[in-house]
Amino acid sequence: MKSSPLALGLLALGLLAPSVRAGLTAGMQEGKVELKSISQLAFGPEGVLFIADPKAAAILAVATGDTAPASGSATLRAEAINEKIAALVGTKSDDVIIEDLAVNPISRRAYLAVSRGRGPDAVPLLVRVDVQGQPELVALDRVRFARAELPDAPADVAPAAGRKGGSPRTESITDLAYADGRVLVAGLSNEEFSSTLRAIPFPFSRVERGTVVENYHGAHGRFETRAPVRTFVPYRIGGEQHLLAAYTCTPLVQFALSELKPGARITGKTIAEFGNRNRPLDIIVYQKDGRDYLLMANSSRGVIKVAAEQITPAAKSITAKVSDTDGLKFEKIDWAGVAQLDRLDARHALVVRTGAGRALNLETMALP
Amino acid sequence: MPAPAGPDRSGGAGVSLRLAWRTILLGILGCGAAANAGHAAPIEIRWVGNGPSAWVEVVGLPPGLGRALPPDALLVFAEQESGAKIPPMAGTMHRDEARVRFEPRFPLVRGLRYRAEFRTAPDATPLVAPFRLPAEAVAPSTVVTQIFPSADTLPENQLKFYVHFSAPMARGVAYRHLRLRSGSGAEIELPFLELEEELWDQPMTRLTLLIDPGRIKRGVKPLEDLGPVFEAGREYTLEIAAEWRDAAGRPLRERFEKKFRAGLADRDPPDPRRWQIRAPVDATRDALVVDFDEPMDQALARRLIRVETASGQVVSGETELTNQERRWRFFPAVPWSRGDYRLGVAATIEDLAGNNIGKRFDVDLREGGPRRLEEPVVRLAFTVQ
Repeated sequence: MKSSPLALGLLALGLLAPSVRAGLTAGMQEGKVELKSISQLAFGPEGVLFIADPKAAAILAVATGDTAPASGSATLRAEAINEKIAALVGTKSDDVIIEDLAVNPISRRAYLAVSRGRGPDAVPLLVRVDVQGQPELVALDRVRFARAELPDAPADVAPAAGRKGGSPRTESITDLAYADGRVLVAGLSNEEFSSTLRAIPFPFSRVERGTVVENYHGAHGRFETRAPVRTFVPYRIGGEQHLLAAYTCTPLVQFALSELKPGARITGKTIAEFGNRNRPLDIIVYQKDGRDYLLMANSSRGVIKVAAEQITPAAKSITAKVSDTDGLKFEKIDWAGVAQLDRLDARHALVVRTGAGRALNLETMALP
Repeated sequence: MPAPAGPDRSGGAGVSLRLAWRTILLGILGCGAAANAGHAAPIEIRWVGNGPSAWVEVVGLPPGLGRALPPDALLVFAEQESGAKIPPMAGTMHRDEARVRFEPRFPLVRGLRYRAEFRTAPDATPLVAPFRLPAEAVAPSTVVTQIFPSADTLPENQLKFYVHFSAPMARGVAYRHLRLRSGSGAEIELPFLELEEELWDQPMTRLTLLIDPGRIKRGVKPLEDLGPVFEAGREYTLEIAAEWRDAAGRPLRERFEKKFRAGLADRDPPDPRRWQIRAPVDATRDALVVDFDEPMDQALARRLIRVETASGQVVSGETELTNQERRWRFFPAVPWSRGDYRLGVAATIEDLAGNNIGKRFDVDLREGGPRRLEEPVVRLAFTVQ
């Protein structure tokens, strides 16, 4: 968090909370980060990296110390990054899963969440890619970190004694982001068909266990259903912080961050339909020539570019039947095989995408 | 388990290789090496151990050289398919007077080729020692043990399948090995909600497979364009290919299929008041039997129903689900006592179509009706006589 003249004034008057005064990493403990698994990554301010550990149902905030600003506009490229990581950890590339990619907005260095192995004993790893495109393991043995346990699963009413081997219920974390002092976590259960979006204030406090909401997808104004959020991005609309979320089934929706209240039941406003056979993967926001754009990677259409100026508080909600696509106008950009996407700098995106054979390449792409 | 064959070490040319390298190495070492020209022990790079925890050492170095070597003097590479430039394996190097040792941070993998390289200067020709743990030839043994729902007629808006395996499986490839076919054998296009994470339980022996809700929910694009996945009156087969590998890397012992017929859509939320409860008798450990009026989601019926005393204390015992997930039985840990009890059912329990108590999977706003049940647990009373 950057200090503004106002903040400094308030600080002098003793009006700001200690956490604000001390910075985001001040209350962190130092020690070894124990991960049971790794999935989504997201950077907050001050080089803080949020790591989702779905097996432990926890979010870790790690002070990477990677806070030296990048100079110039470096491009990053690593051919067969999956093989390079496999070599680093001494295994076959087929036994390496790249779970997520996040670029530190300060240093512009790329971090990858990696699993070594595909079974229940897979080893979770945090990998950083150097400027030569070579991966290195990020040591988590002695770092400053904080940990937030996700709220319990909806209460199991059956006594656990009646079931052998504990509860088979787990929750996948489908996306993670930081906005306005809160860590936002989208989760999906392997039993109840329900998706939750949690807002956890950061720095984590000992008592706050986050907010759980149910998301609904209002389809053309007539039906509404529980809808799993696949990926989302914070975005200001009319001065108010919103989330733009892509659901697993079809549309892009928006809702205000202020709606995320404990026990809330929110219905996203459907603002775009991107058509069929479209599975959203990642979404970023960027600026070009003074205008904001969204870029969404998805399983079948390369990437989709949307001029964000169309998204206003008054933007039309899709309420009628649509023939193929509707709502926001969008452009298809021919970036084939993109599996992971993040913004590298003002002019570039960084992607993980399929290359020759079974190779996955880390590539810098000029933002369209 | 059969005893593994010996590791493959540099094609058996150990002795001549190490003598030749000794000569080269001494040349590389220059003045320092010359001072040790009388040093008789051969310089050798070798793998120690023949399992996943094997490590590499270089022995026979002139006294004092071990500690003077740079940290990258001994590197191990895990060779990859494409031949792209790869970094060395992570690990720890230990140096003492006449020996350096490299311990890989991660266990070695069977079947993969490793290459240890020792050099005294960045541009020197290295001593090389290849290594490979032979792959274990173990017969496939993992099978699909069960798929829920177990009924052979499912509503056309069926939401989920639970696929159970006899051993932990490999993640990240599920959708390549799952097929849904119609009665004619034609493959149904994009029937599943494909999530990269894949919805596994912790031991990775159960996969939750969701039918794409976009093709169940009324009024959304995929259903309108591609149509529903299932249509009432038709036959279907869910296939699991034998090529799917388990966590140990072995394929399944055999393919598995579940055949079923689609029935009418179920848009009627479950209502425990329609369930039949057969109360047990006092002083026995007989089962409390609950017959549902429709099959329920197997995992949720196991987790979200409990027995309480009239004062709300949870009664411990074992549960069982039979009759194609239509009958729930509860065996108490201690004999029943005469008196009033309650069955507690979480409102989030689902039927096969994902309808909850008091709430349909997709709510038609034009129809009005109950949209949400505020009570999180529905209670049904019964009496033990």
